[in-house]
Amino acid sequence: MTVSRSAPTVTIREVTKTYGRFRALDAVSLDIAAGEFVTLLGPSGSGKTTLLMVLAGFVRPDSGSIRFGETEMVLEPPHRRDIGIVFQNYALFPHMTVAGNVGYPLRLRRVGKSEIARRVEEALALVQLQGYGERRVDQLSGGQKQRVALARAIVFEPRILLMDEPLSALDKKLREQMQIEIRQLHERLGITTVYVTHDQREALTMSDRIAVIDQGRFAQIDTPDRLYERPANRFVADFVGESHFLPVTVADGSARLGDRILRLADGVRPPSGAALLVVRPEKLDLAEGAGEGLNRIEGTVEGSVYQGESFLLQVRTSDGNRIAMRQPTRRAALRRLPQPGEPVALALHPDDTILVAAEPAP
Amino acid sequence: MSIKGSVVVAMAVGVLAVPAGAQQSITVASWGGAYQDAQRKAWFEPAAKDLGITIKEDTTSGIADVRAQVKSGTVTWDLVQQGTNGCILLEREGNLEKLDPAVVKTDGVPADMKSDYWVANLVYSTVLAWNTKTYKDKKPKGWADMYNFKDFPGGRSMRRSPMYNLEAALIADGVDPQKLYPLDVDRAFKKMRELKPHIVSWWPSGAASAQLINDGEIDMIGLWNGRVQAVMKEGAAADLTFNQQIILADCWAIPKGAPNKAMAMKAMAHMMTPQAQARLPLYINYGPANAKAYDTGTITPEMAKGLPSSPENLKNSFTLDVKWWADNLDAVTKRFDQFIQE
Amino acid sequence: MSDGAGANAAALARAERREAQGLFLLCSPAVLLIAFVIFLPIGWLFTLSFTDEQGAFTLGHYARMLHPAYTRSFQTTLELSFLVTGICCLLGYPLAYLMSQVSKGWRAVIFVCVLFPFWTSLLVRTYAWLVLLQRRGMVNTWLQDVGLIDAPLRLVHNFTGTAIGMTQIMLPFMVLPLYAAMTSVDRDFVKAAASLGASPVKSFWQVFFPLTLPGLLAGVVLVFVLCLGFYVTPAVLGGGRVLMWSMSIERSVAVYSDWGAASALGVVLLVVTLGILWLMNRLFGVGRAIGGR
Repeated sequence: MTVSRSAPTVTIREVTKTYGRFRALDAVSLDIAAGEFVTLLGPSGSGKTTLLMVLAGFVRPDSGSIRFGETEMVLEPPHRRDIGIVFQNYALFPHMTVAGNVGYPLRLRRVGKSEIARRVEEALALVQLQGYGERRVDQLSGGQKQRVALARAIVFEPRILLMDEPLSALDKKLREQMQIEIRQLHERLGITTVYVTHDQREALTMSDRIAVIDQGRFAQIDTPDRLYERPANRFVADFVGESHFLPVTVADGSARLGDRILRLADGVRPPSGAALLVVRPEKLDLAEGAGEGLNRIEGTVEGSVYQGESFLLQVRTSDGNRIAMRQPTRRAALRRLPQPGEPVALALHPDDTILVAAEPAP
Repeated sequence: MSIKGSVVVAMAVGVLAVPAGAQQSITVASWGGAYQDAQRKAWFEPAAKDLGITIKEDTTSGIADVRAQVKSGTVTWDLVQQGTNGCILLEREGNLEKLDPAVVKTDGVPADMKSDYWVANLVYSTVLAWNTKTYKDKKPKGWADMYNFKDFPGGRSMRRSPMYNLEAALIADGVDPQKLYPLDVDRAFKKMRELKPHIVSWWPSGAASAQLINDGEIDMIGLWNGRVQAVMKEGAAADLTFNQQIILADCWAIPKGAPNKAMAMKAMAHMMTPQAQARLPLYINYGPANAKAYDTGTITPEMAKGLPSSPENLKNSFTLDVKWWADNLDAVTKRFDQFIQE
Repeated sequence: MSDGAGANAAALARAERREAQGLFLLCSPAVLLIAFVIFLPIGWLFTLSFTDEQGAFTLGHYARMLHPAYTRSFQTTLELSFLVTGICCLLGYPLAYLMSQVSKGWRAVIFVCVLFPFWTSLLVRTYAWLVLLQRRGMVNTWLQDVGLIDAPLRLVHNFTGTAIGMTQIMLPFMVLPLYAAMTSVDRDFVKAAASLGASPVKSFWQVFFPLTLPGLLAGVVLVFVLCLGFYVTPAVLGGGRVLMWSMSIERSVAVYSDWGAASALGVVLLVVTLGILWLMNRLFGVGRAIGGR
């Protein structure tokens, strides 16, 4: 099965939605390329689901424009938008069989009976549920339900696929497996997809681009690696991945942590003023010797937590801030693990030395 | 104190108590409510005082109660109030004690209101009543006017029962009120077809009939005299005629095997005296069954005007033949139920 | 396994048994109550219906029901029950739907309106309808004042009035299960249907309505069965013309003092009611609808 119609671009322009005084969406704009997989990532109440509902047509924005390709959609009712949606709780119709559910959008489109049967079976095969057509919905496991919901959302070859935290009800293993499957399915079908989640790891795993949303605004829209490696502000650095922040001062393009000047990646010239150094635990290493060309942070070990694949060392820096450092549980690494109370020197590569503005994103 | 000891004491008290409670008592069952309140004041209390007995009261909901008591052999009632049709049925079934004519004197009671086993004790009637706003000064004179839709147009109401309906239909069709029985059922039903389209409601209960005339929901109605007199007293725009009234009575009877039947007969006799009978209308709108009550002077001419059994009102009346109805009630009621549902 | 563990197992089994016995003891008053209040009287009713006045076996009480007076009454009972159930569906469904859609405040207001009949006496409500609908009642007076009609309409003392009165009394029994069914339908079902291309009308009939069907059926069964045995409202508003089966029962007792005939009528009503419940259950699985899955 392939998407026969060419996937459209999605253009979101200045969309605002308020509930009383609460601004759920504050003039957000986003361009999604044809066939792109974009994730809306944000904490609960950030506005990501509202934006999804605006795209689907269930929430009418106060102002703004939604275009699929060149067509303005903001006034179209949901059933004329031709969007496939996968809901968090699956929303499979309990009074229909699996085939009934998957075939429903085709019946609405007056597709012939044999054609429906064929396409339903095709869609079920695509989600690895061949032969499940006659099952009742309540006979399925959570993962199977999610696959049926996915099959139903794509069987009618919608222009756009929306997914609202579709994996949140599944256990971790299954969730990770489904992440890969959904991603592969997307690659096969090339359908323009908007995915909502609050799980940053899920977003990083699946997306072409991630739009981090906070308090009704986009904090950063970027590819997963850039988002992680080059967060644009404190909110993104904090929300995506694990970060600690150390205050630095910037003057004339050089940043100073305590009495040391930080080495930055080539070509980076931060603006003057107060800034924060983003310290991610896995980017730190124990400093050996002089540590040529690396930034050095000194402190005292306060504790260590065994986490299976790694140790997390809690360190208090010499100027009193807390940071953490991750050390793999490889034998080689374990031998030199400092004990609580011991002084420790940590090294940070200039390329991993990231500064963000001291003020949180407005 | 041991259990044995307390039993002995209780027995001793019991033995001692007998002479103190030697005053005899009888149990009377009637219809309850305002009806029984009036009976208590007019009859029970004076009788208890004069005879030196205690009268205990209970209520009955019909002849089934008496049947059940007699059948089970545990008769607790000495004297029971029923409608005359009920008394006739109970008499036929052998559920009543024969009355001692030496004790119960019934010479003032009309012959069709008594037997060897029971005696009517109060009289009421089904009368023709109408809305005075609708007919102004025109006064219907009898059952023929209920069927006179030209001179008295408007909504009608009768009881949801063949009783009274068949009599009214036959009189309207020209039968002499004194020669109604046995009723010509076919003729009556044929005549009633004329009335049926004008019937607004077949009233199911006395309360409903009173409401229909009180609210002006109908213009002419056949109903119990007490009901219409009550709403007239409250100021309803209604009037009635005792002409061609259908006389009905309730009766005293003694269930077969009553524990104190001798004393019950004495009490019955006391309540049937002209003096006792004359007291009843002081408390409720029912006429005495004993005609001699009107000679006692207790009932004023003004009061007598409103009583069905007063000599004046009795002139143009006839008595419902409860014996005929006892024989035919089931068959005729089925036919009537079919008729009203058609 | 050691001896100690074995002894322990016996003690645990004893504790389990004691708990079961305790539970049974706790239930026994209810079981006895049901036996005495329901099964005993029904058995007695059944016996009476086959017994004549002399106490001998008879089928006469059943044979008499073939008379048109009774067959007609039976027909009336069914007609009225069907009609009232139908009207309750038509009125109750939109009302329950409205309740499931509006804001909390409005929902409370509608709830009070719907439940109000529950809090007032049946007789009072029935007489209130009489006052409203009769010839000089408020409805006719108003219609005449407005000039819509010249002569008063016959709204009461007939089938129409009885149906109106009974509908109002039965409506809560329809609305409450419907409302419960509707609130349990996930809003996402309707959204999903819309996203798949169903217009609001289609998503209502193909998704929302089928999912509320158990509630509707529960309401239908409740209302229909209650209608079958209804007495007060038809007696007051029927003008004597609407002879329900229950009124035939009352008539047998009050007019003929004939418990046998009344019992036979009661048995027929009971059998018909159970028959309808059985049929509904066979057709739609109402037991599931009322008792959950």
